[in-house]
Amino acid sequence: MTSGTFHSARLAVLTAVTAAGLALGGPAMAKDTVELGFVGPLTGGVSAIGVGGRNSAELAVKLRNADPKSKYHYELQALDDECKPNVGVQVATKLAANRKVAGIVSHYCSAVAMGTVDIYHRFGLPATVWGAVLPDITYGNDYAEITRVNGTMINQNEVAAKFMADRGYKTWAVIHDTTDYGKGHDKYFTKFLEADGGKIVGDFGVTSDQQDFTAELTQIKQLNPDVVYFAGLTPLGIRVRQQMDKLGLKAVFQGVSGIKSDSFFDGIGPDLAEGTLTFLEGAPAEKLPGGAYFLKEYQKAGFDSAAEAYGPFAFAAMNLLMDAVETVGPDRKKIVKYMGTVKDHDSITGPITFDEHGQNTVALITPYVAQDGKWVVWADSEYASGKRKLPGQN
Amino acid sequence: MSDIAIDAPARPKGLLPGAATILAVSVYGWALLTAEEDWQVIGLLVLAAAVGLVGKLAGLGPKVLASWSSNEATMNGGAVLGLLAVIFALSTQHFPLLMLTTTLLYFIASLGLNIQFGYTGMVNFAGAAFFGAGAYTAAVLGGYAWIPPLLTILAGGVVAMVLSLLLVYPIVRTTGHYAAVVTIAFGVLFKTFLEVNEILGGPQGLMVESMKLPGWDFNNGPVLFGVEMSFYLNYALFATALVALIFCLVRRLERSWLGLHMDAVRLDETAAACFGISVHRTKILAFLSGNFILGIAGALYGMMISFIAPASFTFSDSLLMVSIVLLGGMGSPWGGALAAAIVVLLPEKLQVLQEYRFLLFSVLVMLVLLFRPDGLLPRQIRNYFPGREGGK
Amino acid sequence: MDLGLIAQYLANGIMLGTMYALVAVGFTLFFGVLDVIKFSHGDVLMLGTFAGFTVWLGLQAAGIVNPWLQLVIILIASMAFTAAIGAMIAKWLVLPLKKAPPLNTLLLTLMLGTAIREAVRLFYPNGSNPKAFPALLPSASIDLGGFLLRADSVILVAAGLSLIAGLNLVLNRTRLGLAIRAVAQDEETARTMGINYMLVVLATFAIGSGVAAFAGIMNGLYYSEINFGMGLLLGLIGFSAAIVGGLGNLYGAILGGFIFAGLQVVGAALLPFASAYKDVFAFAVVIAIMAWKPTGLIPERTSDRV
Repeated sequence: MTSGTFHSARLAVLTAVTAAGLALGGPAMAKDTVELGFVGPLTGGVSAIGVGGRNSAELAVKLRNADPKSKYHYELQALDDECKPNVGVQVATKLAANRKVAGIVSHYCSAVAMGTVDIYHRFGLPATVWGAVLPDITYGNDYAEITRVNGTMINQNEVAAKFMADRGYKTWAVIHDTTDYGKGHDKYFTKFLEADGGKIVGDFGVTSDQQDFTAELTQIKQLNPDVVYFAGLTPLGIRVRQQMDKLGLKAVFQGVSGIKSDSFFDGIGPDLAEGTLTFLEGAPAEKLPGGAYFLKEYQKAGFDSAAEAYGPFAFAAMNLLMDAVETVGPDRKKIVKYMGTVKDHDSITGPITFDEHGQNTVALITPYVAQDGKWVVWADSEYASGKRKLPGQN
Repeated sequence: MSDIAIDAPARPKGLLPGAATILAVSVYGWALLTAEEDWQVIGLLVLAAAVGLVGKLAGLGPKVLASWSSNEATMNGGAVLGLLAVIFALSTQHFPLLMLTTTLLYFIASLGLNIQFGYTGMVNFAGAAFFGAGAYTAAVLGGYAWIPPLLTILAGGVVAMVLSLLLVYPIVRTTGHYAAVVTIAFGVLFKTFLEVNEILGGPQGLMVESMKLPGWDFNNGPVLFGVEMSFYLNYALFATALVALIFCLVRRLERSWLGLHMDAVRLDETAAACFGISVHRTKILAFLSGNFILGIAGALYGMMISFIAPASFTFSDSLLMVSIVLLGGMGSPWGGALAAAIVVLLPEKLQVLQEYRFLLFSVLVMLVLLFRPDGLLPRQIRNYFPGREGGK
Repeated sequence: MDLGLIAQYLANGIMLGTMYALVAVGFTLFFGVLDVIKFSHGDVLMLGTFAGFTVWLGLQAAGIVNPWLQLVIILIASMAFTAAIGAMIAKWLVLPLKKAPPLNTLLLTLMLGTAIREAVRLFYPNGSNPKAFPALLPSASIDLGGFLLRADSVILVAAGLSLIAGLNLVLNRTRLGLAIRAVAQDEETARTMGINYMLVVLATFAIGSGVAAFAGIMNGLYYSEINFGMGLLLGLIGFSAAIVGGLGNLYGAILGGFIFAGLQVVGAALLPFASAYKDVFAFAVVIAIMAWKPTGLIPERTSDRV
């Protein structure tokens, strides 16, 4: 092993970590290669969302590479943050410290994103958030490197509180995980709910890997709320909903965007899931013209798992990043500057406009309800048409 | 353990085998840290295995050991020089330096645990908790700009030690598996406590201020000869100094009367007590000093990675530390260095196997335990006089 | 606090206690015969539960839908499977390390646990996601003034307690039990008396692991969910329970299991600040108990050599 081998090897192209296999076409080889990163939870309880996001980002790269008009050939490094802040910081450092990586699309878990934004800032790496919803990720700092294509939980909870209050519910019990994610939801939902005249009768923080909720739910049962508001991610949501049934708690189960995943039904079965509510930023992908295109391409690419709730955002964020590279070249500083000027940028999730904190303004929030083992847009559901009733509705 | 001592003739050994080893390990370490392609990493691993095998067949091990123990001070100095050379060779590359420094810090942690496991025969399955105590101390004290970082690091050790005081009573009263459960319970308790309380950041974790010496912010890369170095260079150098210091201290401890007491307690508590050794005092000393070292390493670790969360200090992380001690060989400081490198670098370097790395790694540890239970570099018999084997 | 609420907490505690006791029994059995801690116990439990789940999927596919019949088949299959796994672990991983320091066995089995956990996560179809465990027991319930008494919970607890009672009978009333106790007391003497040592050890590991599978299925039925990580905490708690009760003693394990469950429930119900601290509370009390009774509440009858 001589140093020469290593020198040449370092010049060699890094193999991208891909499940689908990138199409390395002949003409593409003539172009310069640009490395991009994707970070999300690829293992663990919320991996379904992460893998969906990763596939979507990969699809974006694949489509772009197939496009003869693109100036560069793109390679994607997908890394796993396991939805744990410490692991996230590790992989973020790994990507940020690699000078060849021009920009990344990162994080579904808010707790992880909160830990990594400083790393990106320190290394000047442009990072576009594709799924984390905590406001502080963009609003808690002045880092130009951080942008976000999806909405924050503020709008989500404003709509959620109003939606529920309009259905005539009066009392809520809150179960939230004690990460910033759960606490954030708790905070904003409580705020908006009180403005809408609702009442929180009990508020319980739980750890994000807790198994048994009978103690909390027993107390909630005593409080007899109309609705149990759950602020956390899918695996925890499944357990809480299961155990509500075990204790005979008949309240409506209202979740947050964190449970908008098909794996919710895998874990809980369609019967118990029935009537669960959740809220998600943006219009449903299938209703957007670009969304239909995305879903068609996703189908065609033959991934073995669904794009899930935030796949379209990952796709849009990756495209935005590649548009930036096309315009200003693979230079971190220039990309950061470019991101600061993004306005009405066309994407499959609707036009992207970043405010001074790099936050995309997504005003639209769509309520979903679980119906027959699927997430159905509320307006299209049998609940909205009056054919089925949520608990406590006459 | 002692066959080397018996076989080896008692004449002074040359510097060559030891020096060659240092050189080889340094070059290898540099190569491994900079290897990016999978085939390079795998090639290097195969190379290491081959060299290990050939070395064993050719009986190189005893020669290196003899050379090392004859010229211990020189060799240790040479090892530090080799480490420094690697650090400077990597000085502009963030990630390899980060990995190297992490390895060094885990090595320091293993030195602390070694006092407990290796010398005194006490179990500690809460290593990550004491490590974490140091890191959290750094996070909290980092908020006060007037506290000098060196003091913060020291405070990390002190806090870890104070926490261990809580356990001292049950720890000296219990033995074996019963002691194991005390530390396991403490480890779980520590992590759960961090998760549920609000003040220390909860499950979310805390930012840690970077280290600043007067006029020297560790998070700015130093500029040498017009080239901007990675800011991790600072931490790597500091960790090297810390490793050297603690390594010397632990070696001193091992060779002192206290070290003898610890060995006596490990080998036979009853007999040790009969010879007038205070078993309790020895155990308390080992427990506190070991955890102090863990706390120091944790404090520097927290400053370096700049963000800590309870999930970094779980029972599994404690296990990782214990497996470093066991893989390396109980009571063998150099074994700890080797094992720390394996435990930290291997999963990182084998990310091709991304999801399979933990599986592979746990199987590897099982194999070592089954077929080489004394560890990779078993502990040698105490050596008081340079050039004489096993105290002869 | 009204009566219904107290009853509810009590029911929660009994359910958890039974599960913990079943896991702790395994630890204590293994320790009895071999003086080792087999830490992969929790993950073997998980493996058994997944095996049961797979059998259920197979039964569904084969068109056998009677829940009672399904339950019996699942239990037999998963307990047999886990028993075999337990015996294999004993033969190829634990016994070869018999002469090594106990710490090595502990670490080996800890790593084995990790390996099993990872293997299920990676190789079981969609293994990283939680699975919905079928509700095979009748879910009829009666509301007793704020306390919901469910048939399935009653059946689970009754089955769990009778399994423990049965195990006690096996240990105290059968030849196998006699042999196990003999080996636990003195291996050398037991061998001299013509006891097939290997067979006894393997049988003990098989029994302990089979019981764990039962606890796993019980866990699955109770929480209606199984996931690859379920064994880790259950194993930790089971181990703590076995230690608190006193290793090598069946009653100690049962006592420890119920104490731990009691602590969790009391922590959740009575701690004024937050129920989230219940595990902190439970583990703190475990440490305190160890300080007070260093060899567990029901200590082993061994004397230090002088």
